[in-house]
Amino acid sequence: MDRRIFLKKSGPALAGVSGAMSLPILASCSSQDAQADSPLAGKKWGMVIDLTRCQSDCTACMDACRQENNVALHGDPRWDVHWIRRATIRPKDESSGLEEKSVLLMCNQCDNPPCAQVCPVQATYKREDGIVLIDHHRCIGCRYCMIACPYNARFFNYKDNPEWPNKEYPRRSHGVAESCHFCAHLLDKGGRPACVEACEQAGQRALIFGDMNDPESEIAQLVKEGLLKRIRADWGTEPKVYYQGL
Amino acid sequence: MKRSTILTEKNRSRWATIFAAIILLPIGISAIGLDVSRDAEMPDVFLEPVDSKWENCIRDSTEMRFRHMDVLKEIRDKVIRYGIRDEVTLAGCGDCHQNRDQFCDRCHAAASVTLDCFGCHYYPESASERTAIPGGEVKNG
Ligand code: SF4
Ligand code: SF4
Repeated sequence: MDRRIFLKKSGPALAGVSGAMSLPILASCSSQDAQADSPLAGKKWGMVIDLTRCQSDCTACMDACRQENNVALHGDPRWDVHWIRRATIRPKDESSGLEEKSVLLMCNQCDNPPCAQVCPVQATYKREDGIVLIDHHRCIGCRYCMIACPYNARFFNYKDNPEWPNKEYPRRSHGVAESCHFCAHLLDKGGRPACVEACEQAGQRALIFGDMNDPESEIAQLVKEGLLKRIRADWGTEPKVYYQGL
Repeated sequence: MKRSTILTEKNRSRWATIFAAIILLPIGISAIGLDVSRDAEMPDVFLEPVDSKWENCIRDSTEMRFRHMDVLKEIRDKVIRYGIRDEVTLAGCGDCHQNRDQFCDRCHAAASVTLDCFGCHYYPESASERTAIPGGEVKNG
């Protein structure tokens, strides 16, 4: 048998063998692409932080956030992760007449998020309902988003989180960035962010959350009144976290 | 031996046969040995469901055997990109397959696959530990 004939004869046979072997696998690969009909369309979640009601010694929202989202607290500021935190802002000089203020800071859920723009692997992205979140499976830990975020809202997991209070929600292992995502996992089930619930239970009701596209909602009406401030709205990041009394 | 005497017209087909045999050998071995070796090495993954509320697996067993990693990724993308949380996720698997050591680790160890899932996702190590997490409707992100 010369080579030509051999190849001619063995080719189809080989193809047949490999084809037959892969058939059961191929047959089971029914196409199951993720649906395009997302239930998120049309919504635009936003939050109002009412600093006139927020008590500067209260930690209810921060505690609730750590409990719900397994946010790591190592006890060392180099490694601690905060999704919502409290900062005291002081006037630059005493003569300005401005007061010291205790402000809650969190991811502002920018409508034009710099963090998502710089992420080289599209791990950070904006969902259809406007929530900016991270696909931690994809995050390569480059920390571009931490540099891009003008609000210092992104934190990096330098270490594994030793605590795991809420087993129903994943924790993050070391090497990924993270920030607040408005408890998207609770929203998808019809709930509200853990901090909002906690603040209400603590009696302050300083956090108001809702769909800004729904004209009936409290937040939409508050925003319409036009008395709310956003942090550095002039940057063009279009934050969806509004402040009352800033 | 001179080159011309190795590749005579007659020898050529012999070489071709040997060559083909070498190439086809692994395919043949795997074709014959596929079921036998898998059954011998791989544990019986479906452990008796204990007070499980699920009647069936989320996909049929052949698909799960060959494609569970893709199925999990499809569910993952649905959940985190589109917010569709209509399927059981990793921790839900633990409702029926309660022992991670038997259900995940043994096969992956046999196949030399390193699993990254459990650094972040909770999966009960044993049936007794499972009670810590009620139900399989997990709010996974
Ligand atoms: S506040 Fe920072 S992390 Fe949050 S969306 Fe804006 S840029 Fe991204
Ligand atoms: S650290 Fe992760 S989320 Fe942030 S930019 Fe890099 S890959 Fe994207």
